[in-house]
Amino acid sequence: MDFSFPKEHQLFRRMVREFAENEVKPLAKAVDREHRVPLETVKKAAALGLMGVPFPQKYGGMGGGEMGYCIMMEELGRICTSTATVIGAHTGIAAMSIYLDGTEEQKQKFLTPLASGRLIGAFGLTEAQAGSDAAAIKTTAVRDGNHFVLNGAKVFITNGDIAGIMTVMAVTDPSLGAYGGITAFVVETDTPGFSIGSLENKMGIRGSSTAECVFQDVRVPKENVLGQFGAGFLTFMKSLDIGRASLGAACLGGAQAAMEGCMEWTMAREQFGVPVATKQSVYFMIADMAAEIEALRSLIYRTAWLIDTHQPHIKEAAICKLYGSEVASRCIHKAVQIHGALGYSRDYWVERAYRDARISEIFEGTNEIQRIVLASNLFRPYGLRIPS
Amino acid sequence: MKIIVLIKQILDPAGILVRRDKEKMFINREEYILGPDSKAALEATLRLKDAGGAEVIALSMGRPRAEDALREALALGGDAAYLLSDEAFDAADIPVTANVLAAAVQKLGGADLVVAGRESGDTSAGQIGSRVAEALNYAQVTDVHVLTGEPGAIRATRRWGGGYATVQAMLPAVVTVAREAFPARYAHGARIMNAYREWQVTTWNAADLGLDEAALKPLLAFRGESFPPPLPVGEQVKGAPASAAHELITALKLQKVIG
Amino acid sequence: MDFGYLDSWIEEQVGREVVEQVGTGYRNIWVVAETLNGALAPATVQTMGQARDMADQIGVYVFGVLLGEQAVQLAQELIAYGADKVLAAGTPALNEYQPETYTKALADLVGQHRPEILLLAATALGNDLAPRLAQRLNTGLISHCVKVEIDMSERLLLGTFRVLGGEMFNTVACPEARPQMATLQPGYFRTPSQDAYRSGDMQEVEVDLSDAAGRLTWLDLDAAVDKPAVPLRKARIVVSAGRGLGDAEGFALAEQLAATLGGVVAGTRGALDEGWIGEEKVVGIGGESVAPDLYVACGLSGDIHHYFGIRNSKLVVAINADEKAPIMKVANYAVVGDARQILPAMLQALTR
Repeated sequence: MDFSFPKEHQLFRRMVREFAENEVKPLAKAVDREHRVPLETVKKAAALGLMGVPFPQKYGGMGGGEMGYCIMMEELGRICTSTATVIGAHTGIAAMSIYLDGTEEQKQKFLTPLASGRLIGAFGLTEAQAGSDAAAIKTTAVRDGNHFVLNGAKVFITNGDIAGIMTVMAVTDPSLGAYGGITAFVVETDTPGFSIGSLENKMGIRGSSTAECVFQDVRVPKENVLGQFGAGFLTFMKSLDIGRASLGAACLGGAQAAMEGCMEWTMAREQFGVPVATKQSVYFMIADMAAEIEALRSLIYRTAWLIDTHQPHIKEAAICKLYGSEVASRCIHKAVQIHGALGYSRDYWVERAYRDARISEIFEGTNEIQRIVLASNLFRPYGLRIPS
Repeated sequence: MKIIVLIKQILDPAGILVRRDKEKMFINREEYILGPDSKAALEATLRLKDAGGAEVIALSMGRPRAEDALREALALGGDAAYLLSDEAFDAADIPVTANVLAAAVQKLGGADLVVAGRESGDTSAGQIGSRVAEALNYAQVTDVHVLTGEPGAIRATRRWGGGYATVQAMLPAVVTVAREAFPARYAHGARIMNAYREWQVTTWNAADLGLDEAALKPLLAFRGESFPPPLPVGEQVKGAPASAAHELITALKLQKVIG
Repeated sequence: MDFGYLDSWIEEQVGREVVEQVGTGYRNIWVVAETLNGALAPATVQTMGQARDMADQIGVYVFGVLLGEQAVQLAQELIAYGADKVLAAGTPALNEYQPETYTKALADLVGQHRPEILLLAATALGNDLAPRLAQRLNTGLISHCVKVEIDMSERLLLGTFRVLGGEMFNTVACPEARPQMATLQPGYFRTPSQDAYRSGDMQEVEVDLSDAAGRLTWLDLDAAVDKPAVPLRKARIVVSAGRGLGDAEGFALAEQLAATLGGVVAGTRGALDEGWIGEEKVVGIGGESVAPDLYVACGLSGDIHHYFGIRNSKLVVAINADEKAPIMKVANYAVVGDARQILPAMLQALTR
């Protein structure tokens, strides 16, 4: 059993790491301070094929599979959670939904510009009254000749204001509920009637934009129905299920950065005449970080392997997100403590990482949802149905 | 233009720690990388390819693991890659290496341009370019900082006499480039995948190159390693400004951090 | 005057067994001279000094080799620096450096006279020419030597050069092939004094360059190169300013030093607050981390927050009036003094 990464992925990791250190890191502080999306980084990433890592080359992607995608998300997450979020939302759920459920024509038309990075993607699911209860969406899509007319408003949409393509869930038959009454659509954001409302003022990942997206009589061609008509809920769940693994990878990167930073600091910082790294209260914390990171790493890449080999992975991916986000939170919490007052200073990366990490337990399915998914998968073989 | 790039895989210096006080070299992390000087050579070549089109062939003499460096060269933009590997090359010194590389260039039918780094990242001898040029009877320009192609020639600005000079060299020619003048690009992700999944590295051994024992006999003999003295810590420099400045500058010059 | 009789006398006195090398008849140490602006290049002079020392050790002659019309006029100067004989190839065809013509000329001369050791300075010319010549002669070349000596037991040239960015040295010899070639790194060898009373022989030599055509056209001997901008974290030399510099005038001294050394200027948070530098030039835990070969900390106390940003520097110089400042204990060289006085003194010494 060979647990080593294929050589092309090793080389890919080195390239992404260099890219992250040289192109992403210098901007990390600024994009947080200025609350702006590093579009210049997105452009550079696109030029290197980093906006379509998991997708086949025939669709303009890199052909790296889920493994390559997790590697990239880990390396980006290690440097700048905001950048990882921008690229992650674009690739992992928006473009991914088209890849998983699109027709060949749709992939050619919509996936290719996304995978090549020519356009940015967003995933339009959440609404003010529909978060964890995703089925409670109210955006409607009414058939009118060869089009569907969309009306409604989505909130908390990452990349909402910079996306060229958005996959949107809308109610096509209110009487049928979640299964049968909801359809997924591919919406080109330059369609008349689409507009951006307010942008969220967030605690962290301030280098990504989180937008309210308003649909006022937006006419979408019927060819843009994504997946089966009425099965939109399934289409979106499929995408979210896979997206969890790479989100866990970004958390892995963040945890890794926290640990590396703690090690460097504690070796340099002296108190009571010795480096604080030699104090048991400190090195025990670092040892705990290392143990969790190692376990998370094995989990992430085994899940990526399951996905790439087309094996069942829903349970593992949910654990990636659940465990990954909590490991990252624990590690960065310890990192603030280890850095002492310095960990509280806005001039240093630690407090930014602390603010950035907090969202990972909330978005892309709260950790409570992950626990439901996990329990549901655990008990189903025994015939016990856990409702969501 | 047909361009052959000479590349070398080296032990990553970032994984090597030298303890001057212990007079020992520790390899903390044994990892092999495409040397930065080779990357600069590739970058200079790829810029020529971007500007006017070229067929870029990466060539390296090394152990079988050097294949990874060649695949990275393909990922960066090379069109073909050749590895020269043989147990008989293990004891190769600089003249032998030059002979092997020159033989390979000849087996490839020669080139318009052969590009190498000015020196390698480990031993930094800086001889390969000129040696290969002599072996092939090509023109040569070394320590180049700016390189452009012209019909039948190249134009290069090279270090010369304390400054720089611009020369035009007739093709075929060998050029060595300065590492700092050609910061390497990133490899495109799809090319990285293809470098291992789609493209090939051809391996030749001593017999393929028609090299006999005489050509492979090293001329140089290793006679030992030594270490510079450890740097002082907290060494005070006192006195009047003029004398203190003089003392400091002398010490810095002795340490070779300033010229 | 013929001092040839001294040769045997020297050998007898020392009683050394003169070991004949493989490929009999190789003898004497050669220096291929390079000129710069009409005079002998300083690096050539240093190489001559080294050649002289080694020749005295083993009791052989030093030959200087001059190529080109202008060069041959420097024969006397070469002798004054220690050459016993000078081979002067004054043909105009060698006025301009061409790898092919220089290689041919030297290879022919080597073939005729058979030196056991041939040295060049590791200048741009030497680095370009020496390996081609060595390949032509099918001999070994030890390049960028920071030290050369003779192993007396085997009468072998030992060349020591830097590896791993200067953290280590390797020593290498060329046991059998002749001549043993080496290039000497400028600045590592003492400059010998000139002895105007030294005498030696100059021999004008002809070289056949009929089948050696230069393929370079020299277009501009004084070209300029735009250096790609280097981010602070990758700079090799950093001069950093702290509040101890007092005012903008003091800060300007740090900038000048950075420019003189070919490095970049940076500073502490204090320098930022004073308005001397922008945020992107702040070094320390809240700013950039640097890892230069040389970090000069001017008028800054350097607590842990600053030190953390410079801990990967190879060599740290601190200039501070307070010898108890934290930086003074961790710096390699701690200059105790007012930076506003030390810096001008340094600039004077460097630009002299």
